[in-house]
Formats: sequence, C-alpha cells, structure tokens
Amino acid sequence: MTEARIHDRGYLAYDGPRHGPGRAMVNLSRHTMQRVLGLKRSNWQKVLPALSLLIAFVPAVVFIGIAAFLPQGEELELNSTVNYYGFITGALFLFTAFVAPEAVCTDRRSGMLGLYLASPLNRDTYLVAKFAAVAAILGAMTLGPPLLMLIAYTLADAGPAGVTGWLTELGRILASGTALAVFWTALSLALSSLTPRRSLASVGIFVGLLASSAVGDGLSAGAEFGDSYALLNLVGLPFEAVWRIFGDQQFDAPISSVDTWEIFATLVGLIAAFGAFARWRYQRIQVPG
Amino acid sequence: MSDVVIRARGVQKSYGSNYVLRGLDCDVGRGITGLLGPNGAGKSTFMGLVLGLRPRQGGALHVLGTDPDQSGAELRSRLGYAPEHHDLPGDVQAADLVRHIAQLHGLPRRAATGRASDALWQVGLGEERFRPIGTMSTGQRQRVKMAQALAHDPDLLLLDEPTDGLDPVQRDDMLALIRRVGREFGIDILLSSHLLEEVEQVCDSVVILTNGVVGHSGTLRDLGSAAAGMRVELDSDPRPLAAALADWGAEAVVDGHMLTVTGVTPEAAASDLIRDLVADLGLGLRRLEPRRTTLEDVFIEASR
Repeated sequence: MTEARIHDRGYLAYDGPRHGPGRAMVNLSRHTMQRVLGLKRSNWQKVLPALSLLIAFVPAVVFIGIAAFLPQGEELELNSTVNYYGFITGALFLFTAFVAPEAVCTDRRSGMLGLYLASPLNRDTYLVAKFAAVAAILGAMTLGPPLLMLIAYTLADAGPAGVTGWLTELGRILASGTALAVFWTALSLALSSLTPRRSLASVGIFVGLLASSAVGDGLSAGAEFGDSYALLNLVGLPFEAVWRIFGDQQFDAPISSVDTWEIFATLVGLIAAFGAFARWRYQRIQVPG
Repeated sequence: MSDVVIRARGVQKSYGSNYVLRGLDCDVGRGITGLLGPNGAGKSTFMGLVLGLRPRQGGALHVLGTDPDQSGAELRSRLGYAPEHHDLPGDVQAADLVRHIAQLHGLPRRAATGRASDALWQVGLGEERFRPIGTMSTGQRQRVKMAQALAHDPDLLLLDEPTDGLDPVQRDDMLALIRRVGREFGIDILLSSHLLEEVEQVCDSVVILTNGVVGHSGTLRDLGSAAAGMRVELDSDPRPLAAALADWGAEAVVDGHMLTVTGVTPEAAASDLIRDLVADLGLGLRRLEPRRTTLEDVFIEASR
C-alpha cells in the first residue's frame, strides 16, 4: 500500500454565509471582555480583574451565607442593597482605573485599531462595542451581587415584603446597577481615549477621580461655596444617585442636600459628555499608518 | 466582475488646509497593481479612502463597484488589509488573531477557525499558528498580517509596505507569496511600496503618485515595450560620437564608455545613423541596442 500525503491544500474560496456589522460588534465585545478579564493571557494579567470581581462578590456571598445559616426565628439586621454599593466602591474604582483601559488603549498601541477599522466596523460601532464590553463586566459587578442577595434573602424569607415591594426592589437594583456601570464605563473610555498607553490612562483616571473628590468636597464642605459643588465629586456623585434611586440619601455628606433632579441631571450630563468626548477623540485618530 | 477594481476621478483629500490628494485620476485593474510614490505622496491616504476610513473632499471613487463613503462597512467585508506597522498584540496566538479578524469580516466562528488555520498554512506558518505573535520574527509577523488579510477570502487585498523590515531572503519569500496570492488565488492586490524593484518583480501594473496626483499609470508590459532611445557601448571615449550625434539633432548622454541616445526616430533610423557615424569616426562598437523604458525612468520623470 502506498502512503499518500497532502503537501499543499491549495486555496479555497469561501462562499458560505457572512454576517453583518452587528455580529462584528458582538464579536469585538466578546473578544474585548476576554482580554479585559485576562482570559487566554498570562496569570499576571488575571490578577486585577479577578481581584475586582472578588471584592464585588465576596461580601454578597458572606451576607447570603449568614442569611442561609441563620437559625429559624433569629432576627438579624441584614445589609441593605443600597449599603452594599459602599462595600464594592473599591472594586469599581479598581476596575475602572486599572483594568478597563485595557479595552481601548492596547488596540491603539498594538495597531489593532487599524485592523478593526479596516473591517466592517467603523469608529462609532467600534466604540459602542468597546463600551458594551466594559459596561457588561461592570454591570456584572454592580448588578450581580445585589440580585443574588435579593434572591437569597427572598428564599430565606428575609426579602422585601409582598410582590410590589419585591418588584420595586428589583427595579431599583436594575436602575442603580445600570447607572453605576454606564457612568464608570463612560468615564473610563473618555479618559482612556487620551492615550494609547494603558498605564498613563490608569494614572489619569486614578488621579482624576481623587482630584475630583478633593475639589468637590473642598469647595462644598471646606470652602463652603455651596453644596452644589459636591456634584464635582465624581466618586460620590454616582453613589448618591443610587441612594436617591432607593429613596434615601447619604448621611452627613454635602451632596445629600443637593436636589435629586440636579443629581440625576448631572449624572446623565456627565455620561453624555464622556461619551461625546470619547467619540470626538476617536474621530480624530489617524488610521491606517 | 468588472476589469476595473478601483476607479478614481478627481479625488481630493485634505487635512485642514493641506491637500494630500489633489484631483487624483486612475483606474486600477485586475491582477497585482503597485502603488508607488515617495514618502508623503499620498499612498496611505489613498488606501485610507479605498477602505472608506476617511471621507474625501471631492471627486468620485469606486472600489469593487461601490463608493466607500456610501457603503464602507459592506465594502470592507470584501477587502483584506495588511497595514505597514509591525506591532500586533504580542500575547495573542496567531491563530486566534486571524480567526478574530475573519469573524469581524462576517465569517461564522466555525468557518473562521477553519479558514484561519488554512490561511496560516498558506503563508507558511502552519506549524507556528499557536505561537504568541510576540515570540515571532518580523518576517513571521508580516506573514500573520498577510494571513489575517486573506482568511475571509477578500476580493481585493491592500498591502501597505509588506516587505518593510524584512531581510533579503524574507523579502524574496514575501514577494513570492504575494505573486502566489495574486496569480494562484486569483485575488486582486493593491501593493503600496516605495521600492521600484519589488514592484517590478511582482506587479502587473503600476500607479505612481507624486504630490497628490497620478504621475503615471499603466501596465509594466506596456512600459517594457516602450522604446526610449538607443544604448551604445564603445571600446573608447564616446564623446566624439556624442558630438556627431548632436549635429543630427540627437541627444546623447555619456556614462563611461556607454552612450544613451534619444531624439532620433524611428528606431531603425537611429540604429543606422549610429552605425554609420561609428564607422566614419573609426570607433570600436561593442554593443548597440534599443533602450527600453524602465520603471525607474518613469518614476523619475513622474517625480519631477
């Protein structure tokens, strides 16, 4: 029997189905999420995203455990959803400043942006796909733990009273989690669009958030220019919005005396401004070459 | 498919007040076409317009029969593009990158996986396809760029300086691969380069850009058959012959024992005249042949 080998497979034309730009956006979002989370990358690249997710989910697991193993009839002051966001501020901060810039900076540094824009994607669809990828992970952090807690508390008979109360709580969680994810994503993309270097973007976001916090609190509480200046605190603003969504307000903070409509208007305005800035930046980036 | 792959009429593109393309007219036909020009001539800008990455300020441009400004996304799904830069994400495996780009061009995941593997085999990286790109040589990275441009089976391939940074052996291999893609795979190619030699080696046609307009366009076959005077080699100083030719209205450029004669037509008359003058002057003739126009001649003429 002779031994047959194929040495050259030749070139075959492709005449199968082709998807449009919508599927390309989905593919880019999925690929971006994998990269941001460090999947298929070195262990070192997985540390920060894993830490962010751990900080976001571990408190919820602990609270659920307490609720589950609480002896029948024993009363416990369970942690409220609105308080939970206080526990995960660090996780959101860590992810926004040190993990999310990977979504866009590396594409510019490695020249992948040129390849992406030579595909059916354009600058707008590229940005939307990147936004969706980062927002999805942040959304998992802001929505996942409170939803898990809601379900677990309900099963442990410690959830909101009645169907209306339960649905109200669900709506508030969805609104709060979405607002936080969208705000931090828009902020991260806007500042990351300034540089192709991830480390510079991280420092920029970190310093920018700290500076806004110092300026906002300094002008409102320190210099007593007025409580509205507390809106400049980009760390405090979205969390105060969450408190307002839950019909409450932070205790003893200058922003707590600002009208709810002002808080929501500022939040929406900032999200729009960050998005518009990122788009403006990407319209001006030269590719190819 | 039409014989014209890219048709440009009066295409203008400026960045602010600086016009990079100033009314560019050209037809790029099927096969392999070289886009030549010095740095800053507008080659990359033209490629950007072909890809629909930038709107033009004026003129008409049709790529594969469609206007890139009107149907950029649909058009780009039929184009393959290999950029000039060498940076690709170093921690990504070649197969993953090629599959990812194929998926972005519309291929379903399974088809993209299969074709990514095939494309990497075709460019000679079959055994290396699961290596991270960061561990590859410049030549291998150029091949990865070629594979990602090929995997989705484009109708037109845009290659921007594909031999940049390659050593002579890698360069010859890359040119052979480009020839193979153009001839065997039947994919039309627009190859941007500033190296005349490689365009002469692989291209069927050439478009020379200079200062934002087309200085010359045509097939290399036409170029090679166009006479450009006579070349004479003597065994002594050719200046007496040059002086004698000047009396007959010919222009003769001396280069050592060589003489390039232009201005006498037809070719046969020039040949007879030179032969007679050489005999009259008692000079020793080593070689007398028609001189063909080279790409270098055209490039220099177009760049003036």
